[in-house]
Amino acid sequence: MPATIDVAEPSSSAKGKAVIVAAPHPAKWKKGTAIIDFVLRLGAIASALAAAATMGTSDESLPFFTQFFQFEASYDDMPTFQFFLIGMAFVSGYLVLSLPFSIVAIVRPHAVGIRLFLIIMDTVALTLATSAGAAAAAIVYLAHNGNSSSNWLAICNQFTDFCQKVSGAVVAAFVCVVCIVFLILISAVALRRH
Amino acid sequence: MKQISDVELGDKAKSSSPRSGVKKGLSILDFVLRLIAIVGTLASAVAMGTTNETLPFFTRFTRFRAEYDDLPTFTFFVVANAIVSGYLVLSLVLSFFHIVRSNAQNSRVLLIIFDAAMLGLLTAGASASAAIVYLAHNGNTNTNWFAICRQFNSFCERISGSLIGSFVGVGVFLLLILVSGLALSRR
Repeated sequence: MPATIDVAEPSSSAKGKAVIVAAPHPAKWKKGTAIIDFVLRLGAIASALAAAATMGTSDESLPFFTQFFQFEASYDDMPTFQFFLIGMAFVSGYLVLSLPFSIVAIVRPHAVGIRLFLIIMDTVALTLATSAGAAAAAIVYLAHNGNSSSNWLAICNQFTDFCQKVSGAVVAAFVCVVCIVFLILISAVALRRH
Repeated sequence: MKQISDVELGDKAKSSSPRSGVKKGLSILDFVLRLIAIVGTLASAVAMGTTNETLPFFTRFTRFRAEYDDLPTFTFFVVANAIVSGYLVLSLVLSFFHIVRSNAQNSRVLLIIFDAAMLGLLTAGASASAAIVYLAHNGNTNTNWFAICRQFNSFCERISGSLIGSFVGVGVFLLLILVSGLALSRR
């Protein structure tokens, strides 16, 4: 019995020493990643809002008319562009709401539940943003080039401003997608335990 | 001394087996999900890639043949699904490694990063094709784009059906990232 107590003591004090030495380095490094996460989130919000706003204000009316054709184009002529607008609005709303969680992750670098929650919700947001951006990109490609096999006319030749704004919105959406991919990367790296 | 070290080893084995059991279960779930995703994406790529419909009449001016490479978006869809199913087959190796060594961390992070990238690619291909399929079904009066599904029925059914496998793959990738994140965060 006395032998067990003698052996147990030095090992417990050695354990205590190891914990004190190891703690500050992971915390500082995790704090750094949480700060980068917050800044990237702000960037993703800016590009998602820019995409939604550019698509929403993309109306164009040509200055001439005939009896049969309409010569105005706006985003609600295509259901795909409506989906794009709603999708990017959801993504920017989610990103704004996730800012407090990001701040909590900066303040408490060892909180695992918060980072896990953020990585899952960021993946859902990635899917929605990529989906909206890709669908709109398909339509924009068709509007620029047309398709001879199905007799679909390239409308960009007539509506140049509308086309430019819509293309710009798609580019902004893909910038947002890249930001969200980096957000997931950072959360995954910070989830590791030390 | 021998008795003490035996007791310590016994304690370690007891405390780590339920935790490593959960991680092992998550790794096995990861492997099974990857198999499902391979089937879904490969089926989509094949279903879209083998579309070929020729209507039995013709005129001098209009084509009456529809294939997937008439529309560049569908070509992108086939290529994206092929790349994703190839990646999934290669990642089965890493997934199996995680079943054997459930405590690996850096390789799980690598797997999450690649899974997120492939999720983006697959979603892009699937939703771009969904936009074109929607247009093919309904047309658009404002731009005078005519609904080609009215003429090419079996082509239309094929392209609509191949979207399903791809979206199943998207759902599976979401689950894969969730499972990898859970396995990473357990202490």
